Parts: sequence; structure tokens; C-alpha cells
Amino acid sequence: MSMDPGRHLRMAALTLAVVLAAAGCAKSEQTAAAPAASDTQGRQVVQTPTGEAGSTCTLDQFGGTKFDLKAATVGFSQSEKEANPFRIAETKSIKDEAAKLGIRKLRVTNAQSQFSKQITDVQQLIAQGAQLLVIAPLNSDGWEPVLQQASAKKIPIITVDRKINAKPCGDYLTFIGSNFYEQGKRAADQMIKALDGKGKVAILLGAPGNNVTTERTDGFKEQIQKQAPGIEISFEQTGEFAREKGQQVTEQLIQSNPDINGIYAENDEMALGAVTALKGAGKEPGDIKIVSVDGTRSAVQGIVDGWLYSVIESNPRFGPLAFETAQKFLDGGPIPDKVIISDREYGKDTAKAGLDEAY
Amino acid sequence: MTDSKVSPANETPETPGTGEGGEVRTSHAGNPAEDATRPDQVDESPAARAAGAARREALGRVLQQHGALIVLAVLVAVGSVAFDFFATAENAASVVVSSSFLAVIAIGMTFVIISGGIDLSVGSLFVLGGVLAAYGSQAGAVVALLLPLVVCGTVGLVQGLIIARTGMAPFIVTLAGLLGVRGLMLAISDEGATTYLVKDAAFARLGQGELLGLTYPVYIAGVLALLGMLLLQRTGFGQNVFAIGGNEHAATLMGVPVARTKVLVYLMSGLLAGLAGALNAARLSSGVTILGIGLELDVIAAVVIGGTLLTGGAGSVTGTVSGVLLLGVIQSLINQVGDLTSSFQQVVSGGFLALVVIAQRLLSKAQRLT
Repeated sequence: MSMDPGRHLRMAALTLAVVLAAAGCAKSEQTAAAPAASDTQGRQVVQTPTGEAGSTCTLDQFGGTKFDLKAATVGFSQSEKEANPFRIAETKSIKDEAAKLGIRKLRVTNAQSQFSKQITDVQQLIAQGAQLLVIAPLNSDGWEPVLQQASAKKIPIITVDRKINAKPCGDYLTFIGSNFYEQGKRAADQMIKALDGKGKVAILLGAPGNNVTTERTDGFKEQIQKQAPGIEISFEQTGEFAREKGQQVTEQLIQSNPDINGIYAENDEMALGAVTALKGAGKEPGDIKIVSVDGTRSAVQGIVDGWLYSVIESNPRFGPLAFETAQKFLDGGPIPDKVIISDREYGKDTAKAGLDEAY
Repeated sequence: MTDSKVSPANETPETPGTGEGGEVRTSHAGNPAEDATRPDQVDESPAARAAGAARREALGRVLQQHGALIVLAVLVAVGSVAFDFFATAENAASVVVSSSFLAVIAIGMTFVIISGGIDLSVGSLFVLGGVLAAYGSQAGAVVALLLPLVVCGTVGLVQGLIIARTGMAPFIVTLAGLLGVRGLMLAISDEGATTYLVKDAAFARLGQGELLGLTYPVYIAGVLALLGMLLLQRTGFGQNVFAIGGNEHAATLMGVPVARTKVLVYLMSGLLAGLAGALNAARLSSGVTILGIGLELDVIAAVVIGGTLLTGGAGSVTGTVSGVLLLGVIQSLINQVGDLTSSFQQVVSGGFLALVVIAQRLLSKAQRLT
């Protein structure tokens, strides 16, 4: 066949498409109220005392049987590539804690941001005999096939960082993560402080389809509306929790809204992308106030450098709390339907000292 | 302009020997199989040579198409020995079930690629089909199934018409489809923030119901693959698809309805992508909005691994099915290892794909030599 030029062109274009499609997403969370002791640096702290008034779940209610965690096969399904600090810290925390507890049969899968793959991943973890599943869900809906299979076998599922829209203590055991609504509210408080209650603000939204984006957006907007009617939200677009996308959206933003005063980025990666865009546009640190959520080291460094105004933390170190919760459940203790961790926040005065605790 | 191909007229100057003045031989358009028809080869019976060449080519094709099957068999054998939980019914079911949706799309893509085209819009049509199905399920199972088929079929039809009538490159037309269709999906789902849930139990059963341990979509994909096979091998339409992909100019001269065949091929691809999306929505009980990103590349990979030539003119549905299963098995093997980092997982699956293609090429060469 003498069509080589066409074929090469097509292959080159395909390769380009692969590279373009490889841009991932990111997301995150962490703890703030009580500064952690130095030996458990950056460890997650449960905000609400366990056994709160809300509904709880025990092994009997769930209908499972007790097993030895150390000897069990435990499956961890990660949603996104370990290509951003949040995911790196999250996976590492689960692996480290399992190693520390002597859980030798930990199986880790990574869905590479493809939801269909995550469903298959978890099903294959179940097929490998997983007795406990820890899932970082990519999406909150669409878990039907997994939940059916897991509940038929009475396999407890602990979801971390994002929620699954299903019934706790039945479809799944519990959710461990931050109060994202609260994070949004606290980000709004910081933004109000930064802008003195008036100005124009843009929001870099997270990836659509999960509770994190929704709640961080709602918390921010409602607090702004209530506390600072002088602040106008004049732009919002998704940066899909990714740095490149955050940069790209911000570049468009400063073209279309040159009078913007503040940017609320729903995670640090997008905020760092925004900083790159602002630098490219010749802005100086502090010209536009940026508030974001996560607490990654680069973002906290960004505060020290003056580019970011404040960062609300979102702790990805789920390992200790996840296995602690699982052990307590297996011992017959009551497990709340959601375990909310408390998150720190970093500002100009706390950033330097906080660098050690950032991830 | 006829998509990405060079018409025989443009090819002529590149044919060896034509630059030397004198007699210019333009009788064959670069197809080695047609060597036998060259008028100066009279010392051997042209018919016998043609038959021999055809046989060699047929064998090569068989091997190319079964290369994926052979590699698949080897991988399954290795996986069964190496991992305790690989060759279990449950794991096999997970591979087959998750492959079924990809297979449905890949059947359509096989026709498109054999015809010499490409369809990049299938990933977006897949997610749109799912969202429309979940949205439509509020009005019952029939609407849930028909709405995605009508919309995705229309998109496929329009793409086909543009490609066939204007001669624009399928790559660009369907790339526009990829972007536009995802935009449409985001528009009806509030930028992806609204996930419609499947309200209709009958429709949900279509994706979740089981027979002999496998969900219905597996059987649907199986039936569609069978129909696709018959359509490609046993009908005039199938022959036309091959003819267009082999040499569009010649096909036109032979009186093949080129435009109509192309339109039908893209219509089919759109319909199947929409159907796969709808079935997947039934399975997940919701119209998840983050699906299908980069899916077109998986589908194209599966088709090409299955032995279909990316340049068109040769290929089979059976090969495609092997290719789809091969991708599923590779993923499953990676999961069996259980502690690869995400970046290394990508390296492994990329390496596997390269190996498969090389193995295929070697197999078909070895076959040609015997």
C-alpha cells in the first residue's frame, strides 16, 4: 500500500492526542483545629468525637464476620494517577500504614482517572478475595455494580476523600474525609479578609461529578453571599483540579476580566497553575489575592513567597485513620456513618512554620 | 480530495521507473498482489501466480487477525500459572463484562477503519449516550434506549455525510465531533455537575441482569459481534467497505456506492457508541459524566491489535473482539500484580501493546515465508 504519508500523519496526530489526553485531575483535604504533635506529624485528627449522636454501625448491624486484619487481603482502589501531591501522599499513607500494621496482602489498583476502569479494578480486587476495601472514588455516582457485589459478600467498604452516593452501613461502611462545605466557607472567610469585603472574585472549580467540587463551591458562595455582599463572583469555570487546566483557565480569565481582584481555587494544583498564568501576564505577587484548598508544600511555599493569600488544608493521610476505623469495626465498636477530620489553615503568619506539616 | 488517501493519479509520478522517460507503466497502483497481471510476465501462468499470491495473502491475513488471539491465549496461560486469582470465574467475568462495552463500540470502529477512515467521536458519544439514557429513563425504558440511539445516530449520520460529501478528512470531522459532543453532554448535565440516575427498573435490568454469571451486555455484545461479522464477510455492504478501504478510486470506478457506504459506516459507529453508553448507564444506574475521555484511543488500539489495518482495506470483527479482550486481560494482569505505581502501570500497558503488535507482525511474516 502506498499511503505512508497519510499513515504517518495519522500516527503523529494520534500520538499528539494521547499526550493531550494525558492531562490528569487532582484533588484534596486535611486537618487544622488542633496542631498535631510532632511525632505524628500532619496526622489526620477526627473532628467530631467518635460515637457522636448520628447513626452508627457495628459489625452485627452490617452483617459481616470478624477477621484478622493482618492476615486479610485488603484492597485499595486509587482514583487518579499519583501525579500530584495529594494522591502521592494518600497512596503512600495507606501503603505505609499497612506495612506498619503488618498487613502483607495489600492490593493497590489505580484507575488513572477512568471511572469505568475503577469499577473493574474494584471488582477484580473482590475477585482476588479482598475482605476489606478502601476506595478513593473518582465519581460519587455509578457504583451500583460494585456495591451489589460487595454487599452480597458482606465486604466492608471505607471510602476516603470523596463520598459514594449510597447507604452507609449497608452499601458501604463509612466515609472518612473532610467537611468540604466547611472548607469552602473558610476559604470565603479568608477571601473576605483579603479583599476587605469588596471586589470581584473568580472561582476555579474542581472536576465535575463529585461531592468535593459541589460542596467547596456551595460553602464558598453561600458564605460570600451572607458575609460580604460587596464581593461579586464574576467568573467560574472548571480547572478539573489540574495545574495545566488551572493555568489555561486563568489565562483566559485575565484576558476577559482584567479587573478581577481575587481567585478562589478549589485545590492547590489549580492555584499554582493560576500563579504561573499571573506571572506570565506580568502581575506581581499580591496583585490578585489567591485562596485555595489542599495544603500542599508548593502552595504553602507560595504563601511564603507572597503569591497565595491563604490555603485551607485538606489532609490526604488517610492510612492510620482508615485502618484504625476498620480495626474498631472488626472489634465490634460503633462506627459513625461519616468520620469527619478537622483541617488546618495556612496564612501569611503560619505558612513558614507550617511548611514542615504540608505534604 | 478523498480523505487521507492519495489517489492513483497522484501516485503515478512516484511509481519507480516513471522518471526515466520512455514507456510509463501505470497499470498497477502499487499493489504487489497485482504483479501477476503485468503483461511482461508471460513465462508463468498468470492465473496460477495470482492464485498463489492470493493464497499467501489470505494466510497472512488469517495470521494477522489471529495474532491477537494467539497472544491472548499465551497471556491467559501465563496469567493462570503466575497468579492464584487470575483464572477464577469471578475475575474472568469482570474482564468480559467490562470489555463488552468497549467491544460494542469497537465493532463499529472496525467498519470505519476498514473503510479507510477513523472515528474519534466515539468516546464522547459513549458518555453522551449514557447521560441521555439516564435522563430518558425518567420516561421509561423505551425512551431511555431510543433517545441515545437517535441522538448519537444523528451525530454519526451528520459526520458521515460531511466526510462522504465534502471529502474532508475523517480525522478532522470526527475530532470536531469529539469536542462538540462532549460540549453537548456538559451542556445538558450542568457542566457535568448533574448526574441523572436511572429511574426505570426495566432499563437498569438491561445492564445489570445476569444469565450464567454474566450480565446481559455481554450477550448483547456477542450477538452484535456475530451480526457484524456476517455483515462484513457475507454481504455486498461488507465487500463495499473493503473495496473503499483498499482503493477508493478503484472502488468508485467499479461502481461501488462510495458515499452511501461511508455514510452508513459512520452512522453505524455513532449508533453503536450510543448504545454502549446506554447499556453502561443501565449497568451503573446513572449517567456518569466523567466517562469516555480517551476512550476512542482504547477502541482504535483494540481494533488495530485485532489485525485491522489502520490504513484500511483489511480487518475483521473477530480480530477486534480478540483485541478488546486482550486489553482487558492486560489490565487484569496489572491488577493481579497489585502494587505497581500508576506511572509504571502505564509503562507496562504501553510495553504490552508494543509487544503484541510486534508479535503479530512476526507471526504474519513467518506465515508468509512458509
